[in-house]
Amino acid sequence: MLQFFAEMSWLIPCYPFIGMLLSILWSPAIIRRTGPRPAGYINLLMTFVALLHGVLAFPATWGQSARYIEIVWLRVSDLTLTLPLEISSLTVGAMVLLTGLNLLAQLYGVGYLQTDWGWGRFYTLMALFEAGMCGLVLCNSLFFSYIVLEILTLGTYLLIGMWFNQPIVVTGARDAFLTKRVGDLFLLMGVLALYPLAGTWNFDGLAQWAQTAEVDPIVAALIGLALISGPIGKCAQFPLHLWLDEAMEGPLPSTILRNAVVVATGAWVIIKLAPVLALSPITLSVTIAIGVISAIGGSLIAIAQIDVKRALSYSVSAYMGLVFIAVGTQHIQSAYLLLLTHAVAMALLVMGVGGIILNCITQDLTQLGGLWSRRPIAGLTFLTGAAGLIALPPLSGFSALLKLVSQLWSTHPLLAAVVLVVNALTAFSLMRIFALIFGGRPTQMTIRAPEVNWEMTLPTVILAVFALHLPLILRSLDIRPVGDANLSLLLIWSSFFGASLSALVYFSPVISKPVNWLWSPLRNLFAYDFYTRTLYQSSVVLGVDALSRITDWFDRYFVDSLVNLVGLASIFGGETLKYNNTGRTQFYMLTISFWVALIAILMNWSTLSQLVI
Amino acid sequence: MLSLLIWLPIFGAVVIGLLPNQVSALRIRQGALAITGIVLLWTLGLVTQFDLNNPGVQLQEYFPWIEVLGLDYSLGVDGLSLVLVGLNSLLTWIAIYCSDVNTNRPRLFYALVLLVSGGVAGAFLSQNLLLFFLFYEVELVPFYLLVAIWGGVKRGYAATKFLLYTAVSGALILAAFLGLIWLADASSFAYDSLLGQTLPIGLQVLLLSGILIGFGIKIPLVPFHTWLPDTYVAASTPVAMLLGGVLAKLGAYGIFRFGLGLFPEAWAKLAPWLAVWAAVSVLYGATAAIAQKDIKRMVAYSSIGHMGYILLGGAALTTVGIVGAISQMAAHGLILALLFHLVGVVEAKVGTRELDVLNGLMNPVRGLPLISALLVLGAMASAGIPGLVGFIAEFLVFQGSFAVYPLQTLLCVIGTGLTAVYFVILLNRTCFGRLDNAIAYFPQVTWREKAPALILTALILILGVQPDWLTRWSEPITTAMVAAVPTEQAVQQIVQVSK
Repeated sequence: MLQFFAEMSWLIPCYPFIGMLLSILWSPAIIRRTGPRPAGYINLLMTFVALLHGVLAFPATWGQSARYIEIVWLRVSDLTLTLPLEISSLTVGAMVLLTGLNLLAQLYGVGYLQTDWGWGRFYTLMALFEAGMCGLVLCNSLFFSYIVLEILTLGTYLLIGMWFNQPIVVTGARDAFLTKRVGDLFLLMGVLALYPLAGTWNFDGLAQWAQTAEVDPIVAALIGLALISGPIGKCAQFPLHLWLDEAMEGPLPSTILRNAVVVATGAWVIIKLAPVLALSPITLSVTIAIGVISAIGGSLIAIAQIDVKRALSYSVSAYMGLVFIAVGTQHIQSAYLLLLTHAVAMALLVMGVGGIILNCITQDLTQLGGLWSRRPIAGLTFLTGAAGLIALPPLSGFSALLKLVSQLWSTHPLLAAVVLVVNALTAFSLMRIFALIFGGRPTQMTIRAPEVNWEMTLPTVILAVFALHLPLILRSLDIRPVGDANLSLLLIWSSFFGASLSALVYFSPVISKPVNWLWSPLRNLFAYDFYTRTLYQSSVVLGVDALSRITDWFDRYFVDSLVNLVGLASIFGGETLKYNNTGRTQFYMLTISFWVALIAILMNWSTLSQLVI
Repeated sequence: MLSLLIWLPIFGAVVIGLLPNQVSALRIRQGALAITGIVLLWTLGLVTQFDLNNPGVQLQEYFPWIEVLGLDYSLGVDGLSLVLVGLNSLLTWIAIYCSDVNTNRPRLFYALVLLVSGGVAGAFLSQNLLLFFLFYEVELVPFYLLVAIWGGVKRGYAATKFLLYTAVSGALILAAFLGLIWLADASSFAYDSLLGQTLPIGLQVLLLSGILIGFGIKIPLVPFHTWLPDTYVAASTPVAMLLGGVLAKLGAYGIFRFGLGLFPEAWAKLAPWLAVWAAVSVLYGATAAIAQKDIKRMVAYSSIGHMGYILLGGAALTTVGIVGAISQMAAHGLILALLFHLVGVVEAKVGTRELDVLNGLMNPVRGLPLISALLVLGAMASAGIPGLVGFIAEFLVFQGSFAVYPLQTLLCVIGTGLTAVYFVILLNRTCFGRLDNAIAYFPQVTWREKAPALILTALILILGVQPDWLTRWSEPITTAMVAAVPTEQAVQQIVQVSK
């Protein structure tokens, strides 16, 4: 019976997809009578079915070799596009995680968006993301991964633009779409360039090809760089990271998914592409460099943010940077484990914070404080999430980071140090958020802040319990923290160092907030995100804008003027010649004779010139 | 059988044109709808008759006409023309369906639209060069009148510009055709008798250039495009749909049928330049579109950019590339028609097309939510988001041409990125933002306005998810076309022999 569910695992993305199609009916102006809420309930049901299917199928895939299903999509001459599906414990497990987190986020959305009129659109897009992400993990082909990533880019645009009345939302949606699309198009270039060389887009085929391929190093580097561009955009890595910051203007329940799993779609693809990237040492170095910059830069920026959602989003960039480092050094297992633990912990952190944002009507950390006694559940779940994210045994973040550090220690000690630093900085940042929200004295915004409704509390608590049990689940799947004892001590020490330093600074009533010890240009550099927006404005945006104006000017005043000039010249010619219409036969005869003579001379010019000579 | 596609609309045009004054506009519209409906059903019937495995011309009809001139009435359909004939039948029906019920001078309007439809179908089906040319010129005057009488503010200027450009295009094409006949010493204008011509390569290139520029004006390709923004903007919505959806495809069809088909060797020789030309067109159209402030004008420039992909696919001379190019003709026809229709609805309801004035139409209560949603979809289809028909056409073009012209292909990929830029500008300004409640008293969008958009959207979605239904028709003929092109060495030999 379970075997049957495993074989039918390809249905899992179909459930949310059906949910999406159905909820389109409640998108504004089609079904009005019932109000938009049924869209949410249908999607909750479909997501639950998908989760149930995944949970039932998972045991049957465990320990089995992967099964492949191939569906021919399009055949044009020698190009056959086949959709290959891989059903293995990894893909089904990932789908269980995705549908599970989605179910919790959608239930959370029922509470969070209680008074919102956009349910139809919101749940349509949530279902689109769920279906797309499940499809992404299931499909075993670079081409179809690209398709899914591109469709999700559109989904991001619409989901961030959910509250499109606000100007900042509109620009955020625009930036997210365009930034991701830049990455996607480079990915498309890589996809196009890879096919003539490898002859396949299937990930396992590519891996096989990469083992024996002999490609020109420059070509390999260019293809590799194009291929990592898509994930750079998706994972909000430097220099395409700004969109995640602006995406925080979208509704919070979608942020749960975005911070936890949507950014991970890019990481998923780059992990799958790791064998191809390994063809070029340059690509690997660039991957590592981008990972390091994003990891350290992201965690530093996170500390300087006063918007709690943005502070969390930069930690996402930082952790995705760690995944890039893992891929760049070809430690695939660590990358997967890091994705899993990060997803659960980050979802929990966002959920914990969301209730506070809803009730206190602000996400500004400077306006919050003193909530510990009023909001114990939110505080505890936030702490659980924080503990799960940083290296703190026995929770799962510790296993993932320990594995990565011990793998890096022997080969790249500097990168291992980067991981330690990022861990300490993240611990600092999370403790800072905790202290600013829950510590200190109540402020005007937090003086009346009860716990939120059960629709939001329940999924948060369920996820917290899951996060606490994740190490046990991993253990039952034979994934235990392994590594050098000294390294684990070092890792734990870095977590404690970051967290306690932060607690010392931000809990202490003696130190006035905001803390401004740092040299102010440096502080602004972090607070304004390395001035990336200005950088964009003065380079790419300026360039495209100028180019479009120049083209428009050229088109209007040069090409079109030339055309009009031709028209004008002919009118002018006609107007001038009309005065020749005198009506005198002699004049006409003269004109005709003159021109005939001229033409005759011209036609016989060669003979005539010989005559003269 | 094929004749019905041509003559039913033309006879319909005559009958409608001669109807007495007492017949109401509504009746005339219904009559025109019925005629084009029959044509559409007939086209679907032809599709079922079409043999997918036969790369040649099918369902042929032949009557000798003026044999002295080498003009005969010979029709036929193959994979290339079938797709476009289908597009023509569909878009004509939709254009009539979404035309205003209270059109001025309804008899003339519907008669002209039907005349255009019959003429375009004739051009797609002709298997004789001179016959093609006659049909090609038939739609010239009706379109002039359609723009000049029912157009917008600058209709006189735009219509005259269109007329002059198209006349030049026609003259060049006729010159190239006549030149081919004389130089090849052919006895008739029959297409298949000219297929195996063996002219010196220099002459071939000369004739091909005439054809490329002639049809290039019609497509249009940069720098012969300036009639397009003016004409599209001045034309009313149904006319703009036909202009962009069908007429531009006539140019693309001509380039493939008479350029690539008749002069494969010269085509292969010019192909690298054509690829460059394609990339320039794509980038030029896209960058010019970004600077536009009028949404209809923006869509018009976007259309210039998108025609470049067709040329790129053709230049690549691979089966995948050309199938992609033909799919792009159909895809672009559907998407452009949808966009023009939606822009027309927005203009009709809101009263402006200015990007700086429009705002917040997605508002579910006071705005135009369904129209906005479809506008998002249409714009994204045009920007090449997968799952919609535009993507697969562009992807096939890129896939087919990358191995041959990597740099030009990459430039065109950048062009799709720029497409995303201006469509995001368009969507952000029109659909997103805060709707001013004080002025937001828009008339209700009627079912008659929604239906065409929904039909086109459904087609865009279905063909995007199931692209096989679009590509299967043109594959056999494309394979045959590519096979007719001599390889690199053969071209070298021909060049040397002719020297």
